[in-house]
Amino acid sequence: MNNQTKEAHMETNRREFLKGVGVAAAGGAVGFPAVVRAQARKGIPSDPVKIGVMPIRAGVAAPVGAAGQRGVEWWAERVNKAGGILGRKVELVFEEESNPKDTVERFRKLALQTKADVIVGGISTAVGLALGPAAEELKMLWLSWDATTQKGVEETMPKPTYSFRSVDNEVEAIGGALLTAKYLKGVKTIAGINNDYSYGHDCWETYQAVLKRYTPDVKSVLELFPKLGVTDFTSHIAAIQQAKPDLLMTSFWSGDTTILMKQAAAVGLFKTMKACFTTGGGVHDSLKKEFTPEGLILGYNSMYFNYAGASALQKQFVREYKAKYGEYPPYECDHGYFTVESYKAGVEKAYKAAGEWPSKEQVAKALEGIEVESLSGKRSWREDHVQMCSFFQGITTHKNEFDFVTIDPVEVLPTTRIMKPSTGTKLLDWINATFPLKG
Amino acid sequence: MAAAAVLVLPLVAPPYHVLLMLPFMAYAVILLGLNLLFGYTGLVSFGHALFMGIGAYTGAVLTTHLGVRSLEVILLASAVLGALVAAPVGALCVRYVKIYFSMLTLAFGMLFYTFLLKFYRLTGGDEGIRVLRPSLLGFDLGAVSKIDYLAGPYYYYSLGVLVLAAICMWRIVHSPFGLCLRTVRDNPAKAESLGVSVTRYRWYAFVISAVYAAAGGALLGPPTGNVDPTLAYWTHSGNIVFMTLLGGFAHFFGPVLGAFVFIFLQDTVMSVVPYWRLIFGAILAFLVIFAPGGLMGLFAGRRAGEVSRA
Amino acid sequence: MVTGNLVNILMGGIFHAAILFLVAAGLQVVFGVQRIFNLACGSFYALGAYVGASAVNAFTGAGGPPALFIVPLALAGLLVGVVGVVVERGLLAFVYDRDETFQLLLTFALVLMLEDIVRLTWGTAPYSTSALYLAYGQVNLLGATVPVYNLIVIGASLAIALGIGWLLTRTVFGRIIRAAADNREMAEALGVDMRRVYAKVFTLGTALGTLGGALVIPATAAMSEMGIELIVEAFAVVVIGGLGSMRGAFVGALVVGVFRAVAIAVYPELEMLMIYLVVIAVLVLRPRGLFGRVAV
Repeated sequence: MNNQTKEAHMETNRREFLKGVGVAAAGGAVGFPAVVRAQARKGIPSDPVKIGVMPIRAGVAAPVGAAGQRGVEWWAERVNKAGGILGRKVELVFEEESNPKDTVERFRKLALQTKADVIVGGISTAVGLALGPAAEELKMLWLSWDATTQKGVEETMPKPTYSFRSVDNEVEAIGGALLTAKYLKGVKTIAGINNDYSYGHDCWETYQAVLKRYTPDVKSVLELFPKLGVTDFTSHIAAIQQAKPDLLMTSFWSGDTTILMKQAAAVGLFKTMKACFTTGGGVHDSLKKEFTPEGLILGYNSMYFNYAGASALQKQFVREYKAKYGEYPPYECDHGYFTVESYKAGVEKAYKAAGEWPSKEQVAKALEGIEVESLSGKRSWREDHVQMCSFFQGITTHKNEFDFVTIDPVEVLPTTRIMKPSTGTKLLDWINATFPLKG
Repeated sequence: MAAAAVLVLPLVAPPYHVLLMLPFMAYAVILLGLNLLFGYTGLVSFGHALFMGIGAYTGAVLTTHLGVRSLEVILLASAVLGALVAAPVGALCVRYVKIYFSMLTLAFGMLFYTFLLKFYRLTGGDEGIRVLRPSLLGFDLGAVSKIDYLAGPYYYYSLGVLVLAAICMWRIVHSPFGLCLRTVRDNPAKAESLGVSVTRYRWYAFVISAVYAAAGGALLGPPTGNVDPTLAYWTHSGNIVFMTLLGGFAHFFGPVLGAFVFIFLQDTVMSVVPYWRLIFGAILAFLVIFAPGGLMGLFAGRRAGEVSRA
Repeated sequence: MVTGNLVNILMGGIFHAAILFLVAAGLQVVFGVQRIFNLACGSFYALGAYVGASAVNAFTGAGGPPALFIVPLALAGLLVGVVGVVVERGLLAFVYDRDETFQLLLTFALVLMLEDIVRLTWGTAPYSTSALYLAYGQVNLLGATVPVYNLIVIGASLAIALGIGWLLTRTVFGRIIRAAADNREMAEALGVDMRRVYAKVFTLGTALGTLGGALVIPATAAMSEMGIELIVEAFAVVVIGGLGSMRGAFVGALVVGVFRAVAIAVYPELEMLMIYLVVIAVLVLRPRGLFGRVAV
């Protein structure tokens, strides 16, 4: 019996539960253990819990949306098999995340029309900036998967009640700089190729700022910002070759990572320079060994599918994901999983205090500081509604049984070390005060 | 009867549907202008997202950076800015017709989009700029919840703007000016021989349509609370042309109907099926092939108020 | 090493130009004869990319020798051009007697539909042919390392350009196309069956796009909405080169490709912005473009 089932039936008499499970298992029942339905729990409605899910469906970020959705769906299936949240079945309602204007409208639909109990999702930064205030206005519990940057944190949602934001996006760049300082010696000049939007700009700025704390005289010789969706980098690579940096840094996270790697390999770019792919792990299984050299820094965001120290939960997830989809899960799966798993934990915690199904405000309060066992390990919501987890980055290696690269050694970087401690702190000030890290 | 329904909607309908009427009204204003260009002058612009973007960003810059909250000022500023940009752009574009006109407008629209995206220190880049809640007719309704504000005072304000815009446009198209436009559309040579400067009249239509698009664009901003470059992308221009065709460009109220049907259809379809683009593409194809007169063409036939097409 | 850098930048630009030419060529041949600006040309390109990648993956999966991958790739790219027949007969044929802008709108409808059809079939994850891009190795060209596959693509593009040139000037079909482009009514009066010409021309245009997509895919990856992105660049090419002109597509592609490459190396900020300004400048100062013969 796993932890989730245990939590869901905290109030139930253990023997009755075991009997119910036995009946269900024996009868081959799909869905609900009979005992939960028969027992009308105090203050708990009998209709399903509606969870609004907003994946991106089109464009370069569509695979990320799909991954998040799959993580949520996997969670929902398991939770429903185990009896749901406090006995209420989970029902997922999907609306597409597209551009900010349309997404806010779909969000409002989920809140006002569908009357969702919670909404999870939000990947693109611009969308996140619009959804935060919308969630607050609608008094709608919103757990974001990925959408945040410096601006989002400082301006639009200084003290949110209902919105819960993902990790600061620059954390991966900070990690990349730390690994650069540790593993790649002799880097005096760097070039950056990052997508032309807030995430790309912020990552490049942050990477340089942190690296400078370790190598004060490091210089940038070229910065390129191709738009998201560019599929040809031959000209960019030519410019990089001309600039001759010691290292190339990129925060590419979508299909362009693979294209860059392939086209770079075709001209032997990384034979003459080192590289730091802070977020390339997002497309990890497309980085085939034939064109991805060893010795590069590669970041997998907050979940590394092949981590040796992974929990049984993650191992099971990876196994079942591969069996079902034919590929290995990227990090967004865990962003998705964490939002709904933490919601469940928050509801259960708030229920204990309230004695009945908690309101959104009560759940929000319960979520502050809560920690759950997510796929990649422990994750939590900080008191100020920012996600806390660990980031996995390492050096690429060919020594594995796959046809693509993995990382070894693996650095596990918790947000307690590489994310600024509160939304009020200015990023640059914090960087100057914190780095180089002691110990 | 429809008018009565629209008036009482916030009182009887669920708040979500009331909110859905807001983009409808904004697009209705935009389309009234677009159809002056499309239906009455015969020019299809694939770049009007440029002016929608100008209107939206004007509202954002005024409320966030300049502390101006009055929606009247925002609308006026958007209209003026729309006209100022439309004057030179239009002067260039109206020298050409048909495909060239459409392509040139598309180019200008994408130029603006790229500008918004690239000059992020000025425009906020992909993150855009916030739009703070505007005051209506001098009343600062900050104390009211956003949903009550949008589903109440803002709804009626938008409705007022739409009615005003419609009345103005009705007068325009039924004036001698409107007649000149139709002549320019149907028979430019004859128009010239009658002393009507074809390019000049097309230019007037272009600028007026831009003013409407900017005003409508300004109305699009506050409900979302944020403006971003996707508002200026070429597919946004394509969508409003789609709406115009859907409703029927040959009838004064066609585009308004088109906006209504499009918004509500999209809302329903998007929730039900993830492949809504396929459905909408098929609808557009069907319209173009079998019902180019749009919904109005199917139902209304020839009646007063119709734009006569030779 | 300066020559190496220069060659590098130029080769990058020419490679990009080769890609653009294939898409633009499809656009031009359709516009030249049918006066239809096919907004879906980028979508056909994307379709060719996905089908090409599928064909190659199936080929190598079934044990085909990797060195020969370019055969199924090119074949698949060409064959899927038959979609053009379906689109032309099934959709466009109904609107030939309508205003040009309706035809434009129909192609917009195609863009929407094709976008979802591709997503339905291949999903949204980036799709490619793994490492086959590197299968042919590299060469050293005046100090610059150039992947042989890039040279193959450039060569293929050139061959296709010459092939189209030959088609237009030396075959009966080509003469019919040029006659129809010059004066539709006259061509019809002379007994040309325009319906069949249109079907063939549109299919040719589509096949050029799909072939282009297929040929390029080993060097890049197919991604969701790539068609919608590409149309803007293709549009720049045909405007600069001149609508309806094949020579224009060739030169226009070179101009855009090389210009972009130089801009990236020298002044990356401006890149796409400059292209739009050039497009607008061309449309204003010389709307025919460099080689266009179509009267405005």
